[in-house]
Amino acid sequence: MDLDYNQIMSIGVYGSAIGLILIGLYAVLIKKHLTKIVIGLSIIDAGIHLLFIAIGYIKGGTAPIFSPAGEKIVANGGVMVDPVPQALVLTAIVIGFAVTAVALSLVIRLYRHHQTARIDQIKSLKW
Amino acid sequence: MVVSPVHFIAVPLLAAFLIPLLAKVSKELVRIVPGLVIGYLSVVSVILMTQVVNTGQPIIEVIGGWSPPFGINLVFSAFTGFLVSLMTFMAFLIWIYSYRFKKIDDAPAQKYFILFMMLVTGSTGIVLTGDIFNLFVFMEITAIAAYSLTAFYRDRDGAEAAFKYLLIGSFASALMLLAIVLLYSQVGTLNMAEIAQRIHTVPQGMKITIFTLFVVGLGIEAEMFPLNGWAPDAYSQSPGPVGVAFAALVVKAGVYSLVRVVFTMFDIHGAYEFLIIMGAITMVIAEISALKQTNLKRMLAYSSIGQMGFVLIAFGIGTNAAVFGALFLMFNHAVIKGLLFMSGSYLVYNTPSKEIKDMAGIGKKLPMVSFFFALGALAIVGLPPFSGFWSKLYILMAAADASFYYLMGTILIVSIIEIVYYFRVMGRLYFGKPQNDVVLQKPTLGGIFAMGVLATVIIVIGIHPDFVTGFIQSAADTLLDKAGYINNVLQLTNL
Repeated sequence: MDLDYNQIMSIGVYGSAIGLILIGLYAVLIKKHLTKIVIGLSIIDAGIHLLFIAIGYIKGGTAPIFSPAGEKIVANGGVMVDPVPQALVLTAIVIGFAVTAVALSLVIRLYRHHQTARIDQIKSLKW
Repeated sequence: MVVSPVHFIAVPLLAAFLIPLLAKVSKELVRIVPGLVIGYLSVVSVILMTQVVNTGQPIIEVIGGWSPPFGINLVFSAFTGFLVSLMTFMAFLIWIYSYRFKKIDDAPAQKYFILFMMLVTGSTGIVLTGDIFNLFVFMEITAIAAYSLTAFYRDRDGAEAAFKYLLIGSFASALMLLAIVLLYSQVGTLNMAEIAQRIHTVPQGMKITIFTLFVVGLGIEAEMFPLNGWAPDAYSQSPGPVGVAFAALVVKAGVYSLVRVVFTMFDIHGAYEFLIIMGAITMVIAEISALKQTNLKRMLAYSSIGQMGFVLIAFGIGTNAAVFGALFLMFNHAVIKGLLFMSGSYLVYNTPSKEIKDMAGIGKKLPMVSFFFALGALAIVGLPPFSGFWSKLYILMAAADASFYYLMGTILIVSIIEIVYYFRVMGRLYFGKPQNDVVLQKPTLGGIFAMGVLATVIIVIGIHPDFVTGFIQSAADTLLDKAGYINNVLQLTNL
């Protein structure tokens, strides 16, 4: 099978996006340490962000900026990549950051309350 | 003065960020300003709602001069307007109820009011927005405020409940983001009206994948089985007013977004039957779990989940009459469950163990609160002449018209279970022997006022349902008018 550079790249990018999501899922579902679960959630987010960026990419596209240089490229038959996924991923990264911060502060609170950060040893409420 | 739907998002968000500054000026401002803001929003929602119902045209707000589908737009139709009015009304009562919250200590009160304003911003934003990614952002604002409010008390197991909620919630938001990514890759737009227009071009397999991701992501906020594990813990560990806010705002926003996805965005064959089945499973399991709860707040939480299952069933029947019943039930659930959580919190305060069996005889010690609780219990099981009766009747009639006879049987059997566990609490309240005569916490004036308003609403709507049925009918018509929604939003496009 003959693959050119672009095909290898796209398989690599999509593959690593799905790989990241699966690694994150593994961490969330299997790991018992609260911090590792939070890390797993961040990895899932990173995978989805990568997938989103990959979907918005157009082969050979340039940065989507309205500037004299950008207009010249488009006038000469060039293309720009889709700017919407990039804007959305930027927003999603900020949201992910906020959720991670809240999650870690809860982990600290749980650790102080129970003197442990292992999820199988914290069971005042029914899990 | 010009009022516009954008005030629902801008004003409370601004207030949330100003509260720490206002605290430097006066401690009392921290408590007064949220009330002024929500009061203003209630007035705006009433003005806009009258305008929408009179003209029959939704108000579509274009933000930043970017017309849809390129920019974000807010849609204040009869349907979304009805929910926003309900939410701001309930938020106002929650403010009155919690005005003296943490009166002794001002620093926690400041945090509470900031998070509460964020919760109001997020949940009204979910209902108003016409952009699917914007909906995701508001969902996260609501969720982060809700996680923090769940963990509010340091001495309870709040952090554990909040972490559980966060784990389920952020997993859901990851799935929802994935759904948005896939949807964008298929239709190339984020505007909900334009998605609805183009969804038929998406291959069937992809459409079902995206739909499933959305349902799982949104079903968590809507307390759909089996995604509702967070709810009993979050309700029982969070402060009293927060439980009311969950029932009246967060869950309503969750159900709204689920309904928006099913009714407007997707045209999947069998989605309505899916809602009925999931709703029935949710309702039966939640009500049976409620029956065996010994903790009052957990019991109320399971009952709340059960009611949401009932709402999903009614939406799943899908006829105009059933949607009318579902919206009426959402209204009733907000009002009645609000009253139950408000009065239930005082019952729990006065019972250190929080167990139902220790609440014996409180009916004589706290007559006012127990009366409100009993009224709420009678209303939610659907006894006439209270408002809960009408919504149940309308949904049963709609089920009969659509010949869902097994469903009617299930609903009626579940109602009997509901009666058993609510009457068990009432029996203990009034006929149990008091264990001690100490009253730990008498209701505040604001608390009694808020509960009194809700009780009045329940009785007045129960005797004369025509006060709200007009609004609900136009809300139901608007929801089912998919073509009208698409046209109204996209006619503003000026290419």
